[in-house]
Amino acid sequence: MNVSRTLSLAAALATGLTGAAWAEKEYEGVELKMLAIGDTSVTRLAPIVDEFTELTGAKVQIDMFPYPGLIDKIVIEASANNPSYQLMWVDSPWVGVLGESGALEDLTDLVKRDAEEIHLDDIIPIQLQENTWQGRLLAFPASGMIWHINYRKDLFEHPEEQAAFNKRYGYDLAPAKTWDQFIDIAEFFTRKAGETLAGEVLAKDFYGNAQAYSRVAGAITHDFFPIMRSFGGQYWDPQTGLCAIDREPGLKAAEVMKELAAYNPPDYLGLMWDIRTGYMERGEVAQSGYWSVRTVRLTNPDEAVLPTIGEAGYAPSPTGDGNPADTMTGALSFAINSKASDREKEAAWEFIKWGTSRDMMRRFANEGSGVSQFHKSILSDSELQKKYPYYQVLLETQERAQRRIFHPFYADVEEVFGVELNKYMAGETESAQEALTKGCTKVNTRLKVFPEEMRLRWINDVPAEIFD
Amino acid sequence: MAYIRKRNRRIFGMFLLPAILVLFLTTIYPMIYAGYLSFRSYDLAKIFVPRVFVGGANYREILSSSEFLHSLIVTFKLMAMTLSVQLVLGVGIALLVVQKLPGMPLARTLLMIPMMISPVIVGLVWLFLYFPEIGYLNYFLSFAGVGSIPWIASTNWALWAIAIADIWQWTPFVMMGTAAALQSLSPEPYEAAMIDGNSRWDIFTRVTLPQLKPVLVSLMFLRAIDAFKIYDIIFVLTKGGPGDSTEVLSMFIYRQSFTFWRMGVGAAASFVSLIIIVVLITLFFKSLNRDQAA
Repeated sequence: MNVSRTLSLAAALATGLTGAAWAEKEYEGVELKMLAIGDTSVTRLAPIVDEFTELTGAKVQIDMFPYPGLIDKIVIEASANNPSYQLMWVDSPWVGVLGESGALEDLTDLVKRDAEEIHLDDIIPIQLQENTWQGRLLAFPASGMIWHINYRKDLFEHPEEQAAFNKRYGYDLAPAKTWDQFIDIAEFFTRKAGETLAGEVLAKDFYGNAQAYSRVAGAITHDFFPIMRSFGGQYWDPQTGLCAIDREPGLKAAEVMKELAAYNPPDYLGLMWDIRTGYMERGEVAQSGYWSVRTVRLTNPDEAVLPTIGEAGYAPSPTGDGNPADTMTGALSFAINSKASDREKEAAWEFIKWGTSRDMMRRFANEGSGVSQFHKSILSDSELQKKYPYYQVLLETQERAQRRIFHPFYADVEEVFGVELNKYMAGETESAQEALTKGCTKVNTRLKVFPEEMRLRWINDVPAEIFD
Repeated sequence: MAYIRKRNRRIFGMFLLPAILVLFLTTIYPMIYAGYLSFRSYDLAKIFVPRVFVGGANYREILSSSEFLHSLIVTFKLMAMTLSVQLVLGVGIALLVVQKLPGMPLARTLLMIPMMISPVIVGLVWLFLYFPEIGYLNYFLSFAGVGSIPWIASTNWALWAIAIADIWQWTPFVMMGTAAALQSLSPEPYEAAMIDGNSRWDIFTRVTLPQLKPVLVSLMFLRAIDAFKIYDIIFVLTKGGPGDSTEVLSMFIYRQSFTFWRMGVGAAASFVSLIIIVVLITLFFKSLNRDQAA
C-alpha cells in the first residue's frame, strides 16, 4: 500500500474538499465508474446517483454484474495498469486477496479523519473489522449482514400446525435453537400437493427447508460455513495456518446439510443463493437460513410474494447445543481502486461517504426499501424495528460475532469445498470425512509452499487501526 | 521477366500479410505465450505468489491429477453419447429429407436452424426448458404422468441433459453432410441392386452405407473434435456440476485458469488437451488414407 499517496490524499481532502466543496461542485468533470453487483446494497443507490452529481459535479456510472464472476472482473481490473473502474463493490472475504495484492486504496486514515462526519462510533464494529486486512481498512460497509434463519411465522403460529408438531415431536413448534430441531421442523413441514397445510389443501409441493447446495461459485459453502461456525468450527489451524475445516464441527455441519437435503426442493443440488431465497420469498418453504442482505426483501411486497400470503419471522441461527455461539457476519462494501488517480480517489471517497451515510441508510429505511443496516442507531430504532422486525435479530446477533474468512486463498477454499461438498450431497463421495479431508488436502497443497510465518499472518485478524 | 516475378511475389506478400498478421496475433503468439506459461507458476489474482519457472511441474500435476483424469473420462463419455445419437438421427433424417416429397426443401432449411444458433443461446434455451419448477419439459412430461425430473440438478441426469442439448444443435450438421453425400451418389449401383431383387434394407446396408462411409467418418471426426472442446452449453447449464458429473476437460481448464487463477496449470492442461486432439486428427487421416487405399 502506498502510504505517502494515501497521506497526500488525506491531506488534500483535509484542506476542504468535503461539505463546502460539494456546494462548489468541486469534482466537476470527474467521471467515476463502479464495478458492482445487482444487490440491495447497490440497487437502492443506483437510481439516485444523480443526486451525488448535483452535489459534487462528479458523474457516477454503476455497472452491475451477477455475483458469480464478479471477483474475476475485479481481479482483472486490479491487474490492469489503467483501470476502467475507480470504485469497486467488494464482498468482505475478498479483502485478503485484494489487500495482499495492493489492489485497494487504504481508507484507514480517511476514516479516522472523517470519523465524526461518518458517525464512526455508530457503526457496528464487526462490520468495519470485516473490511480490514492486516489492520488496515480497505473497504467501507454499504450493507452489513449476518447469517440467520427466516421462517414462515404465520405457519409456525398456526394452532393446528402447533398441535400436530407437539404431538409428533413432543415439544413446542418455535424457531429452532438447535440443528436437530431445525431438521425436525424441516421434516414436519415437507408436504406433497394435495396434503393440508395450515388448514388449506396444497396445490403444489411444499418444502420444509431451502438451502444453497450448488457448487457454482462455492454457493454451498456460504451455508456450510455458518453452520460449521455455529458448532464452534474454524477455518484454520491457529498453530500451522493450514486448513481445519475437516474437523468435528465441519463434519457435523456437513451431516446437518446432508440430512436437510431430503426436505429441500428437488433441484437442491443446483440451488444458488438467489434461487434458494426465491423459494422463501414466494412462501414455498417453511424456513431457510441465509444472509440478511436478502432478508430485507421479505418485508417488501414489490420484491416478495410472502408478505401478501403470510408473514416472515426472523431468528438467530441455531447452534449445535442450543447455547449461544458466535454467529458469522459479512459486509458488502465499497472500495477504491488503488490505481485510480488521486483526484478520482478523492471523489470516490466522497461518493462512498455519501452512499453509505447514516442519513442515506435511514432514508432507505423510511422509504420502505430495506437494506441490511449496520448503524446501531438505525437498528435499535423502535419505530423502524416495528417496520423491519429483522433489525432486532441483526442487532442482537452481532454482539457475539466473528468475521467470515478473509484469507488470500479464499476463492480457492470456496471453489474446492464447493465441489467437494456438492459431491458429498450428490452421493458421489461416501462420507463427510472423505469430502472434507479431500478439500483440506487440496487447499493445504497450495498453502504449504508458503512459509508458516506467512500462513499465520494471513489468518491473523489484526484489529482495525481505526479503533486506535 | 525476373522483375515481374519479383513484383508478383511482393504483391502476393502484401495480400498475405494481413492474414499472417492476424493469424500471428490471435493464434501463434497466444499459443507460444501459453506454452511459456505452462512451464511457470503464474497466479493472476495473487501477485504475491512468485511467478517463476517450474519446469514440467504443471504437466506432472495435471497428469497425476484424479480430477483431470475424471474430466477426460466425462469428456469421452459425453462424446460417445452425443456422437452415437447424432450419427443415427442425422443419417435417418438425411434419408428422409432427400426424398422427393412436398415440403422437403423447407424442412431441410428449418432443420438447420439449431446449428446456426450460438451455443450460449442454445444453453439458455435449454436452461429454461430444464428448470425443475417452471421448465416446459417437465410441464409437458407431467401430461404423460412423468414426475418432475431434476434435469440439471441430478448427477444421474445432468450429462444427459447436456447431451440432449448438443444433439439437438448438431444433428443437423450430420444430416446436412449426409444428405449432400446421398444426393451425389451414382444411381447405377441402386438400379443393379433393385434388378437383383434386394430389399430396401439390403440396399441401404450394402450399397448406401459403404458409399457413405468416408463422409460419415469425416463428419464423426469433425464432431468428435467439437465435442472434445464443448464448453459453452455446459457453462450455461451446469458449470460442471452437480458434483463433478459434467466437468469436461474444457471446464477443468477453465476452473484452473479463471477460478483458481493458476494460469500455468491451465495452460499445461490446454496443451495436454491439444495433444489429444492432434492424436484424434492423426487417427482420422490415417483412417481416411486406409479407406482411399482400399
